[in-house]
Amino acid sequence: MKHLIESQFDKYRHLFVEGGKLHWAWPLFEGQETFFLTPRHKTKTGAHVRDRMDMKRLMIFVLYALAPAILLGAYNIGLQGAINEGVANPSVIDSILRGVVSMLPVVITSYAAGGLAELVFCIVRKHEINEGFLVTAMLFPLTLPPTIPLWMVAVGIIFGVVIGKEVFGGVGMNILNPALTARAFVFFTYPAAISGAGVWDVGGKDLLSTGAVIDGYTGATPLLAASSGPAGANAAQLIHDAGWSYTDLALGFIPGSMGEVSSVAAALGAVFLIVTGIASWRIIVGAVAGLLVTAAVLNGFAGPDSVAMMSLPPHYHLVMGGFAFGAVFMATDPCSAAVTPMGRLIYGFLIGVLCVLVRVVNPAYPEGMMLAILFMNVFAPLIDYFIVQRSTRRRAARMATA
Amino acid sequence: MPDHALRNGLDIPIVGRASGEPVVLDAPGTVAFCPTEFKGIVPRLNVREGDVIERGAPLFHAKAAHEMQFLSPVTGRVKEVRRGHRRVITDLVIEVTDANAPGVQYAAVDLGDAKAVRAALLERGQWGAFRTRPLDNIPKADATPQAIVVAATETGPLMPGADVLIGSGDAEALAAGLKALASLGPVHLTLPPGSNLGGSAGGATTHNFSGPHPAGDPAVQVNLLCPPRGAGQVWYCRAWDVVEMGKVLLGGSFPNQRIYAAVGAGVASPRFVKTTMGSPLTHIVGATKGDKLRWIRGSVLTGQAVDSERWVSHFRRAVHVLPDEVESEILGWALPMFGTWSFFRTYLKGFTGSSSPVDMRPGVYGGERAMVPIGVYHKVVVSPDILPEFLFKSIVANDLEEAIQLGLLDMTREEAALCTYICPSKIEFGELLDQGLAQYEKEAS
Repeated sequence: MKHLIESQFDKYRHLFVEGGKLHWAWPLFEGQETFFLTPRHKTKTGAHVRDRMDMKRLMIFVLYALAPAILLGAYNIGLQGAINEGVANPSVIDSILRGVVSMLPVVITSYAAGGLAELVFCIVRKHEINEGFLVTAMLFPLTLPPTIPLWMVAVGIIFGVVIGKEVFGGVGMNILNPALTARAFVFFTYPAAISGAGVWDVGGKDLLSTGAVIDGYTGATPLLAASSGPAGANAAQLIHDAGWSYTDLALGFIPGSMGEVSSVAAALGAVFLIVTGIASWRIIVGAVAGLLVTAAVLNGFAGPDSVAMMSLPPHYHLVMGGFAFGAVFMATDPCSAAVTPMGRLIYGFLIGVLCVLVRVVNPAYPEGMMLAILFMNVFAPLIDYFIVQRSTRRRAARMATA
Repeated sequence: MPDHALRNGLDIPIVGRASGEPVVLDAPGTVAFCPTEFKGIVPRLNVREGDVIERGAPLFHAKAAHEMQFLSPVTGRVKEVRRGHRRVITDLVIEVTDANAPGVQYAAVDLGDAKAVRAALLERGQWGAFRTRPLDNIPKADATPQAIVVAATETGPLMPGADVLIGSGDAEALAAGLKALASLGPVHLTLPPGSNLGGSAGGATTHNFSGPHPAGDPAVQVNLLCPPRGAGQVWYCRAWDVVEMGKVLLGGSFPNQRIYAAVGAGVASPRFVKTTMGSPLTHIVGATKGDKLRWIRGSVLTGQAVDSERWVSHFRRAVHVLPDEVESEILGWALPMFGTWSFFRTYLKGFTGSSSPVDMRPGVYGGERAMVPIGVYHKVVVSPDILPEFLFKSIVANDLEEAIQLGLLDMTREEAALCTYICPSKIEFGELLDQGLAQYEKEAS
């Protein structure tokens, strides 16, 4: 089997190497060969042997970590659709299938459109395909509502890949997380398609237009429900009144983006990423700490005149909206995060702080995780700068003549 | 005795460790010197092709200092002066005519007399064992070190250590060498766990070093014990080379017997051998396994790949023969790969921390990418205050000033090689370090 694949690639290699007729398509050939077979080229200089770990394995492990989020997300899409239609206790299989059906076109569009943009850049810039794209094109759809029009997905991912990554020189050079750049683009360009009350459920739109919505169903996310309450109201009570228990919030059985509703799934992904050493635990721990501390402090200021969100307890903040998903999968993007170990703790902490501030203090957006991460992406180099300065000062002191 | 138990670093578990007592080999037909190994000096030949030379007589000297001599280990005839690119001398080949000739006889030197010790080490072919921090060059003949680190430790993959290279009969020579070095500067002797060489330390300060590679690397130890201050230099050398120094200072014939390790999966039976210094690689290795082989002088991390017809390194006491073929695996990037060893926990064996030896091949196992800083490099860098990601980015950006502030001169080659080994982006950090240091040397001169 292996020799058959090897011989097929070897047979056509001459067309794609330097001087071959199809040399322009080398990234495509190389990408396919290294998809099927681990590379066979040898070390020339430096260490004669190398570890087996490479970028492809790094990125595929992030996708593995996303599996629980994808599964629970798919189930929830079906579940919310059923609730919307008034179906009691829909079967798990039906719900997942229904979720997959609405999720799949978005994911396929994301991979196809983003992949095309990636490939064009590889061929023009003559570099190998950056496998970081595998993660970007999966993360982006998971942050979108299931009703998103496909053309917006295509425009969004292309913007993310090109402006978020390739113009800087590809994976490793980018300063913003490409998937979040794509989402921010869609968020600000087509706000009606990605936020508000009507976008979260597969069945929602038609039902809304025909007026056949069941009693008491609003389609709002818990965050929207909490933030649109009257001043001085108890936010947690608002959420419970809207029909969600804390367990619903944590498991993600609430209206929300396709893959980021479930904090439990994100936590499973976090365990996997930390155990395999891919994501920085410092960023995740920092973000959780920042969120809990800020929410607790704001609770202290909550009074009869303050906005309802002010009273939302820290552990509610933790499981609502995109926080968990963002902290585990977006904030930990090593290219756009701080690099120094201490810097990562600070970077994560400030993401948590900002997330809560946007949620509570800013009246415009009920959710703040996307903006918090993008904002800290921009400031990550500054955080690192101070840490690096401290280290170079220590060196200078040691080297000084006694 | 201060203890340095290092936690960071990596012992690469590669198969082919040598074992047993050293096999004593007959004298080889030829021996050779490779002057390019003597970093930091320009060689000037004292002999021509066809000349007859005596054991202990000078073969070549440093252009900058006539008294810094490098000696013939045997009595014989200069068979060939091989030159490479730009007529650089690659090999000085000597045909052995009399393996047992005593050659030049040395008188004993007063070990406390700094001037006499320095002159003897220079003239008796021992100066090349010293290296400077920073830059790892051979020190100038009249330079003074702020300190000298003598390492009896070795943690490089499959490299032989003091337990093999320093015999029970060498205690006196080691003590003499250390005493002589003390006249040049303060001496630190670093010891592996359980070593009894501390008895020869004399006035030298001893330190215990343990932990994974690069804990045993003398350049790393300099950074941890006594980093150079200001524009000064700290020297380092190996304890087994100090034994040689001790022998020539005590007097007699030029000591030309050395122990080497023949290691790696390409060696039929990995072994230690005792033979004439500068022996042919094939003489040391004996029978090999496999067709395509890569012959490495030194370790798989920082060793130099050379033609099998060449000779052993002057400094690196090992020859690693690595099978030079790489097999591919179907979908290896996505599958669990339970049998594969890795530093990373994305492989089961990396997760369990298995250290049973692995038959490694010289594959890159991935495409070269931009650096994705997932926070692994600092796990193999033990020199203080080095942030590898930032240092290497500044070298790539050609920002020399920034690179120096970030520790360009502190970073060691062993640490850079370990970074190369683990790098998921397959970046050649050793090349980058050399590039940065070359630029520094160019601008400093």
